[in-house]
Amino acid sequence: MRESAATQSLHDLHPAPAGLCRKYVFSTDHKVIGRQYLAISLLWAILGGLSVFLMRWQLAWPGTPLPGSALLSEAFWDGESWLARSLVHGIIEPEFYNKLFTMHGTIMVFFVAMPLLLGAFGNFLVPLMIGARDMAFPRLNMLSVGPLIAGAVMLLLDRLAGTGFFVPALGGEPLLWQHLFWYFGHPEVYVIMLPGMAMALEIFPVFCRKPIYGYRLIIYATIAAGILSFLVWAHHMYVSGMHPRLAMPFSITTILISVPFAIMVFAMIATLWGGSISFPPPMLFALGVLAVFLLGGLTGIFNGSAPADIYLHDTYFVVAHFHYTLFSATFFGGFAGVYFWFPKLFGRLLNDTLGKIHFWMTFVCFNAVFIPMHVVGLGGMMRRIADPTMYDFLRPLQPLNVFISVAAFLLLLGQLPFVVNFFWGLCAGPQAPANPWQANTLEWTTASPPPHHNYDVIPVVCRGPYEYSAPDSPQGWIAQNQALVAGPATTAQG
Amino acid sequence: MQQTQAHAPTASSPTALPTGKLGLWWFLSSEIITFGGLIGSYTVLRLAHPEWAEAAQHLSVVIATVNTVVLLTSSLTMVLAFRAVDRQEDPAVRTWLGGTVTLGLVFLLIKALEWSGKLSAGMVPGVSGFWSFYYAMTGLHALHVLAGVVVNAVLLLVALRGRLRPVAQRVEMAGLYWHFVDLVWIFLFPLLYLS
Amino acid sequence: MTGERRHPNYVAVWYWLLGLALVSVSLSVLPLSHTFTVVLVFAAATAKAWLVALYYMHLRFERWLIYALALVPLVLFGILLLVLLPEIVSR
Repeated sequence: MRESAATQSLHDLHPAPAGLCRKYVFSTDHKVIGRQYLAISLLWAILGGLSVFLMRWQLAWPGTPLPGSALLSEAFWDGESWLARSLVHGIIEPEFYNKLFTMHGTIMVFFVAMPLLLGAFGNFLVPLMIGARDMAFPRLNMLSVGPLIAGAVMLLLDRLAGTGFFVPALGGEPLLWQHLFWYFGHPEVYVIMLPGMAMALEIFPVFCRKPIYGYRLIIYATIAAGILSFLVWAHHMYVSGMHPRLAMPFSITTILISVPFAIMVFAMIATLWGGSISFPPPMLFALGVLAVFLLGGLTGIFNGSAPADIYLHDTYFVVAHFHYTLFSATFFGGFAGVYFWFPKLFGRLLNDTLGKIHFWMTFVCFNAVFIPMHVVGLGGMMRRIADPTMYDFLRPLQPLNVFISVAAFLLLLGQLPFVVNFFWGLCAGPQAPANPWQANTLEWTTASPPPHHNYDVIPVVCRGPYEYSAPDSPQGWIAQNQALVAGPATTAQG
Repeated sequence: MQQTQAHAPTASSPTALPTGKLGLWWFLSSEIITFGGLIGSYTVLRLAHPEWAEAAQHLSVVIATVNTVVLLTSSLTMVLAFRAVDRQEDPAVRTWLGGTVTLGLVFLLIKALEWSGKLSAGMVPGVSGFWSFYYAMTGLHALHVLAGVVVNAVLLLVALRGRLRPVAQRVEMAGLYWHFVDLVWIFLFPLLYLS
Repeated sequence: MTGERRHPNYVAVWYWLLGLALVSVSLSVLPLSHTFTVVLVFAAATAKAWLVALYYMHLRFERWLIYALALVPLVLFGILLLVLLPEIVSR
C-alpha cells in the first residue's frame, strides 16, 4: 500500500518511535500506555483473586489446612519462612487473614479498578474517540505509570520487608484519620463507578442499534452525582463515635445521591426498550453492569440510612453491597470494555463462545456468592473476623458461608475461559477489521490496531455518535465523519 | 480534505486556554486539597490541644520572618523573570531566574539550619502531636520548594544556553507553581509561628 | 501564548506583601487578646495570598475557568473544616 503524501508528512510530524526502549518502555504513545495499564491491572487481578481463595477457604472451613499443604514437608512448616509463619501447618493464622483482606481491598481498588478503567481504557480510548493524535500531556502520561508501579513495589516491601511506607506513625485522634480517609475515599469509589457505567452506556447503543435515551439527562446526572459525592463521606462513620448530630445530614445526602444514579439506570433501560438487541459478549457484560449495579444501589439505601446502618455497619451486608456496586463497574464494566475494544486494542478477535461461557459463569457465580452474603450479614456476621465458628450465634450461618465459598471458587475458576481466550486471541485470533461491531464512534473509523499517529486524516465530525438504524443509509447506520447531504435524501446515495 | 495538526506547544483547547496553563492549574487544584487536608487537620487538632502553644514557643519567629521575606522576594524575582520573557529581554530573564533559584536555596538552607537546631535540642517528630505536624508540614513544603528550585534551575540553564525562546511559556508555568509554594508558606507562617 | 499581557506593578505588590508580613509579626508581639491577634494575623495572611494569587499568578486577568479551578478546592477545604471542627474540637 503506497503511502500518500499526507501520511508521509504525518510520519515526520508525529514519528513512530524506534527501538525497544522508546517503543515499549518509555513510550509516550497513549495506546501503548493504555495497554501497559491493561496488563498491569489484569496481573494484579489474579493476585487479588488469589487472596479471595485463601480468605473464603478460611471462612468456610476455619482451621483446616489449605489443600496442598500436605505436600510440603514437616521441616518446612517448622521453619522460619514467611509462609510457615503465616500458615501454621497450612492453617491460616488470624494475623495472616487480616493481611489478606487488607491486601484484597487495596489491590482490587488501587491496582485493578483504577488502572483498568481509567489507566487502560481512559488512556487508550479518549484521544481516539475525539479524533486526536495523543493525550494533551503525553510526557505526563508516561510518568503516571511509574508511580503506580512504585506504589505497588512499596506495598510489597511493606508486606515482605517490614518497611514503613504506609504505616501511620502519628498519634492524634483516630477519628480525624477516618474523616480524612473517607473524605477522599468516597469520591474515589464514584470515580471508579462512573467509567463502569460509561462502558455500558457506550456499548448499549451499538447492540441495540438505537441512540442512547436521555443523553443530556445522563450528563447532568453525572455532574450532580460528582458534586454530591463530596458530601456523603461520613456515611462510613455513623457508628465510629463521630457526633450523632452529623448522622442526619449525611443520611440525607447519601439518599439524595441515589437519584442521579437511578436516572442513569432508567436511561439505560429506556435505551434497551424497543431496540434490536443482539447478545455478543460485550453486550452480555454491559447488561451485567446494569443488573448488578441496580441491586447494589438498592442495598446502598439501607446502608445510607443511619438508623439501619447502626445494625448493618461492619457486617457482611455492607460487603455484599459494595461488591455489587464495585464489581458491576470494575468487572462487568471492565470485561465489557475488554471484549468490546479488544479488536481495536490488538487487531484480533476474541472467541465469542468462550466469552459467553465466561459471562454466564461470572454472572451466576457472582450472584451465588453475594446474594447469600446479604443474609449472612443480616444474621449478624461481622466483617474482618477470621473464624466465624468462634461465635455461637454465627454457627447456624455456617452452611451459608460454605455455600458462598464454593460459589467463590467456581467464580474464580470461571475466569479461566477468559484467560485462555485472551492469550489465544492475542496470539492466534482472527484478524479484526476496522469496525467489527458496526459501531458509530470515531475510534472504529481507523484501523485495528490504530497506527501510531491514530488517524491518517484527522476526522471531521459531522454528526452525533448514535445514527443507528438510519432509514436513508444502505448499511443501516451512518458514521460520524460522513458528511451531511444538503437537501432531501435520495435513494441514489448508494 | 486533509488536515494536519502540528504539536504546537501552546495549542489551544476548546476552552480557549493554553493547555499547559489549564493542566498546571488542575495540578495546583489537587495540591490545594493536599495541603488543605494537612493544614485543616492541624488547625482542628491545635484548637483541641491548647497545650501545644507551649511547644510552639520554642519556634523562632525571627528565623521564620526572614524566611518569609526571602520567599516573598523570590516570588517577585520569579514574576519579573516572566515579565522579562514577555518583553524578550534575555539578560533580564537570566538575572531574575538566577535570583529566584538563589533565594529558593537560601530558604532551604535556613530551614535546614532551623531543623537541625530543633532536632539536636531533642524536639523530634515523635515527641508530641505538635512536632509531628510541624515537621510534616514544613517538610512537605520544603520538598515542594526543592522541586521548584530544580525546575527553575533547569530553566536557568536553558536560558544561559540561549535556548529559552522556543519554550518560553514554561517560565510562566514554573512561575505559577513557585507562587503556589509561596502561598502555602504565607499560611504556614502564621499558623505555626504566630499563633 | 505571549503577547499582549497586562503586567501590573509587581514591585508595588511586593511592598504591600512585605508590609503585611511585618504587620503580622508586630501584631503577634503586642499584648492583645489571643483571639484578636489570631484573627488579624490570618486576615493579613489572606490578604497576602489574595495579592499573590491575583497579581503574581495573574488570576485577575484570567478566564473564569481558572478561577473555578482555584476556588473549588478551597470550597471543599472549607466543607472539610466545617465538619471537622465540631467533631474534634468539642471533645
